[in-house]
Amino acid sequence: MREMPANQLNPRIKNVWRISDAIWIVIAFLCCFAPFAIIAAVEPSETWAGFVALMVAVVFAALFVFFVVVLPPIRYARWRYELTDDYLDIARGIFWRKRFIIPFIRVQNTDTRQGPVLRAFGLSSVTVATAAGEHEIPGLGNEEADLLRDRAAELARLAREDV
Amino acid sequence: MEAPQQTQQPQPAPQPEGAEPVKHHVHHSYMWLESIRTLVVVALAVLVTNFSTIAGVIADGGLDGLPTGLALALVAGGSLLAILVVVGIVVAMRVVSYKHLYFIVGPEEFTLCSGVFSKKRVHVPYQRVQSIDQRATLLQRIFGVCTVLIDTAGGASNKAITVPYVTKQQAEWLRAELYNRKNHLAAVAASVVGTAVTVPGAPSASAAASPAAPAASPAVAPAPGIAAGAAAPSAPAPVGQPAFGNVLDIGSQAWDEVGGLFAGAGVDTGRVTYEYGLTNKELFLTGLSGSTSAGLILLGLIVGLLQLVGNAFELFGDAANSVVASAVSYATSQAMGAVVGLVVVPFIVVLLVLWLLSALGTCVSYGGFKARRRDNRIEVEYGLLKHSFQGLAVDRVQSVSINQTFIRRLLGYCEISLGKIDAAEGENASNNQNANELLNKGLVVHPFVKVSRVPEILAGLIPEFADLPQDSIPVAKVALRRALIRRGIVQGGGFWCAVAAAILAAALAAVGAAAESGVLYLESDDLFLLSMGSVAAMGLFVWAAILFIIDIIGAVLWARESSFAFNRRFMQVSNGGLSRTTISFPRQKIQFGCARSNPLQRRAGTRTLLATTAAGQGGTTTTLVDVPAEDAAAWLDWLKPGGNQACGS
Repeated sequence: MREMPANQLNPRIKNVWRISDAIWIVIAFLCCFAPFAIIAAVEPSETWAGFVALMVAVVFAALFVFFVVVLPPIRYARWRYELTDDYLDIARGIFWRKRFIIPFIRVQNTDTRQGPVLRAFGLSSVTVATAAGEHEIPGLGNEEADLLRDRAAELARLAREDV
Repeated sequence: MEAPQQTQQPQPAPQPEGAEPVKHHVHHSYMWLESIRTLVVVALAVLVTNFSTIAGVIADGGLDGLPTGLALALVAGGSLLAILVVVGIVVAMRVVSYKHLYFIVGPEEFTLCSGVFSKKRVHVPYQRVQSIDQRATLLQRIFGVCTVLIDTAGGASNKAITVPYVTKQQAEWLRAELYNRKNHLAAVAASVVGTAVTVPGAPSASAAASPAAPAASPAVAPAPGIAAGAAAPSAPAPVGQPAFGNVLDIGSQAWDEVGGLFAGAGVDTGRVTYEYGLTNKELFLTGLSGSTSAGLILLGLIVGLLQLVGNAFELFGDAANSVVASAVSYATSQAMGAVVGLVVVPFIVVLLVLWLLSALGTCVSYGGFKARRRDNRIEVEYGLLKHSFQGLAVDRVQSVSINQTFIRRLLGYCEISLGKIDAAEGENASNNQNANELLNKGLVVHPFVKVSRVPEILAGLIPEFADLPQDSIPVAKVALRRALIRRGIVQGGGFWCAVAAAILAAALAAVGAAAESGVLYLESDDLFLLSMGSVAAMGLFVWAAILFIIDIIGAVLWARESSFAFNRRFMQVSNGGLSRTTISFPRQKIQFGCARSNPLQRRAGTRTLLATTAAGQGGTTTTLVDVPAEDAAAWLDWLKPGGNQACGS
């Protein structure tokens, strides 16, 4: 196919993904693990509970390694975008690779969002909404995000009213 | 109500500063028509709840020593009082809320004010008006009032603005006024910016000239002496059109002439350039091919088939037996047949009656169907009892879609519908469930039309869509193999049905083998169940084979007929198969495009195209699987602003 879009996300996004995924995995792990662990602790005769707890721990350890070590670099490598004068080009996806073309004249509004994790790393995510759904660019440096938002807002204002 | 309106038409030009905007109240039937409905409901409720009391009084011959007559009178009086109190409260509420319900057609925007304690004002800039619909229930029709729904494109959370109980005249005036003001503003904006209006084919002359029309129109319209609505069919504009009509048109014309009690005189809302209805045949076929009817036919066929199969089994059974036994079993089978017939025949009859009724219902709901082009909007109205009127500005049409279900395809017919941005239903519209079924498919401009007539209808209704792309790009060669695998196996109902049948058969065989080797002891009942199970597995296999063949045929047809095309202004996607859909949309309406591929597609060199428009609620994505990769790349380039310049016109 044609050449990929030029820009990559800010490399710090990998750590953002790691931290937010790790938080979710730990919470889910505690929810699944705690009941069996408690049973195993209270009734040592119930060996199956300990076994299940062990299995849960193993599964979640594998998930943890996958989401924290393996996935972020691949995701990062596959996530590309390019901001030209009049359209936004996004290529992403690991197995199902998607290539989006979003003309700015169709963009209705743009948002900049910053969760606590993103803020800690000095990143923002920009959401570009059209009349039929929105697209998020997750990890951009703050000044880059502002640039993108301003560009989109300016072009959206010029857009003809033609939905 | 009508008199002050006709004299106090606000001028479409900006009003003089400081002038109080005219507050238009809705029709006074808002108070009493709704109250009548409440009265009926409450009366029924009270009657039902008091029935036992009344019956008890009559049975006991009096209440606590009171004579029967007096007791009855007491109960009846109490019920009456209860009804009166409830209805009184409702009427009072309606009266008060009526006083606070009005709309203003201002210079910049339309405003609807409502609410007694918590005031609510909804502002609609004219530019944002998507479509204006009118709906009327039977009761409303009799009194010549209707509900006006104004759609705006406000994303997923938007709601249609509902103006309830407006007289027909007021509604038509409102519609014309809103569109004229919208066109006027668009023309002003265009002249300021110096670019063309986005409407491709909109004559800017009409946009500029039309704001003058509504001021004069109420005075002009009654002059021809034509009743409300009848103006349109008798307009001389649709020249050269064959007179399409059906039996139910007479009914709808009668409606138009009677018009309803408070309908008022007709309002000239614009010039009709193209109009058509349904012929008798089309109306009839529409009724017969409704989805409910198709399901009922299928059910009837299955029952009939089962009976046939049952009879066949009886006959085979006879052949296997000896002569004497066969005579006996013949007699019993005759008796059994009679019993089965007794059960099945009424069932089929009931199905037939239901089917005919539903077909009749569909016919009536499509009765008086009319689609027309008036100035730069498309209007569709239908419904013999419950009336529905939909108006859509041409520049708001998102897509034109031509659908052929399997039955339509066999007959060589299709359905034409226009995609539009749908609003979530307005507050009052939740009780119009039936109307919504028709509304959800976009705007159906013809439910059942011969394929050969489609170009003519499109040329008349939306000439803006005239230069659709011709040279279509078929799906890749490899798509056939992939479609066979995808539709036949991965998503194939037949394949998975066969898998289920195989598992069932294997399990039964295992049980049977276990029984034979003496591991498992089975009662005769269990053996019977076992044999029944194997029959069921056989049936499942047959069903799976049928489904599989259908899947395969569908896949082959899909690979042969599917294509996409694009030119300077339009894109067209055809998805074939047993049922077929061709959807065309202007480049301007594509919100964003996406080319997707999974690892297998990358190896085969194909991509899936996804073009998203804003039609429907929250957007519609049109998909075409397995387009050659280079064509997909070319399409993405075309999608970029200015990317269409390379294409010829």
